[in-house]
Amino acid sequence: MGVVNFAHGELVMAGAFTIWLLHAQFGLGYIPAIAAAIVLVTAIGLLMERLLFRPTRSDPLAGLICSIGVLFILQVIAALIGGDGPSKQVPPPFHGTLVMFDVLRIPYQRVFSLIISAAALGTLWFFLTRSKFGWALRAVAMDREAAELQGINTDRISVIAIGVGTALAGLAGGLIAPLTNINPHMGHNVIVTAFIVTIVGGVGSLSGAVLAAILYAVFHTLVTVYFGGTIATISGLVLMVIVLIVKPTGLMGAKVSE
Amino acid sequence: MLLQVNDIHVHYGQVAALKGVSLEAGEADFVTLIGSNGAGKSTTLRTISGLNHPSAGEIIFDGQRIDHLSADKILKMGIAHVPEGRRIFKDLTVTENLLLGAFTRDDQAEIRKDLAGVFERFPRLNERKNQTAGTMSGGEQQMLSIGRALMSRPRILLLDEPSLGLAPVIVREIAHLLTEINKQGVSIVLVEQNAELALELSRHGYVLETGNVALEGEAASLMDNDHVRKAYLGI
Repeated sequence: MGVVNFAHGELVMAGAFTIWLLHAQFGLGYIPAIAAAIVLVTAIGLLMERLLFRPTRSDPLAGLICSIGVLFILQVIAALIGGDGPSKQVPPPFHGTLVMFDVLRIPYQRVFSLIISAAALGTLWFFLTRSKFGWALRAVAMDREAAELQGINTDRISVIAIGVGTALAGLAGGLIAPLTNINPHMGHNVIVTAFIVTIVGGVGSLSGAVLAAILYAVFHTLVTVYFGGTIATISGLVLMVIVLIVKPTGLMGAKVSE
Repeated sequence: MLLQVNDIHVHYGQVAALKGVSLEAGEADFVTLIGSNGAGKSTTLRTISGLNHPSAGEIIFDGQRIDHLSADKILKMGIAHVPEGRRIFKDLTVTENLLLGAFTRDDQAEIRKDLAGVFERFPRLNERKNQTAGTMSGGEQQMLSIGRALMSRPRILLLDEPSLGLAPVIVREIAHLLTEINKQGVSIVLVEQNAELALELSRHGYVLETGNVALEGEAASLMDNDHVRKAYLGI
């Protein structure tokens, strides 16, 4: 869509905060809390589309800067609600560990996240490549005017695109809440990872993003184990710069047209 | 009259692109707009299809004013626009491009029938139906762009420079195709730099010069007009 949403990491944070507030503090069930996180984050996303991205559509840089503003606003709201003390923890709702072949041990919480993520990804892939609205969404991203000439209501498609993207951010927040430290600045790691994965995979390529995400996760984990987390993030960024120099379109990116 | 453009003015910022253009096309008609670069041919088509809006004047299609409507609504009424430079969706397959042409339609069985019809008309698209559209040659992409427009079952087809950058043999093929589409009852408004070809195909012609209709008339009589011969036919 030509929209760069820098506040995406903060939307994930808002999702995680919702879980902390509703599930860990108020005792709402984990699954209903995830549903609430998705609804809330999607609502924020739709507001951003209507109030920020749509009016600045002719100037992508303006939209990007507006989203940075939202990033700070969301951080402050989170600090006001949760306080800026130590990070919050959400006790994992799923207990126990899956043991396979005596060596592979995965906590059930992570198994749950893995299954839901894979299902969400599969659904997204199906939507983008097999449904009329998915084609329309990609068509609008490629050539908004030509899409309009096919009778596609491009405003509505933009709403759907932001809606799907932010709903997934809400879901992601819900899934990582029990696995990580929750604080107003946690979105930072999310956005850095997202940028590395998107650029290495190729902007606009879902399969590239998935491939890059798996490669980057393995890479990041190995470097973290042997050298430490900070080195891992630095080398991830270095990797991104190398990809930008050697293959600017990313692993699976389409050629930049015109 | 199926389509009537009455004295439209269009501005890009402060610059006037059209300064009172009028033209009309009937049912199953074939009209052409010729003129040099910057004369306002593309702007005229873009204004009819709703990508631009006139600051004055009116456009009437099938008895209704359409000049304030958005492009997606105008397509639904039966005006399809094959834009300059083909503008196909390069990362989508040929079939996906064609099905997007039928985006506003819900009659699945009829859409399948029309898709088969397009593949029959353009055998080369059929051979490449699962291929990414951007990998095809210019001529094939032009055919895809026309095929995509036909998938909306238009009553009028607006074409902007369909011959641009194509080999003469492909241009002939496309000319033949337009005549056939026209014979099946679709009205055609053709914008072309290749004035000779355009006048040969059409019934009526308009000569645009700096945002005005400088001359209009039967295509055959324009071909004999001294000014047209000198300025556009190079004779």
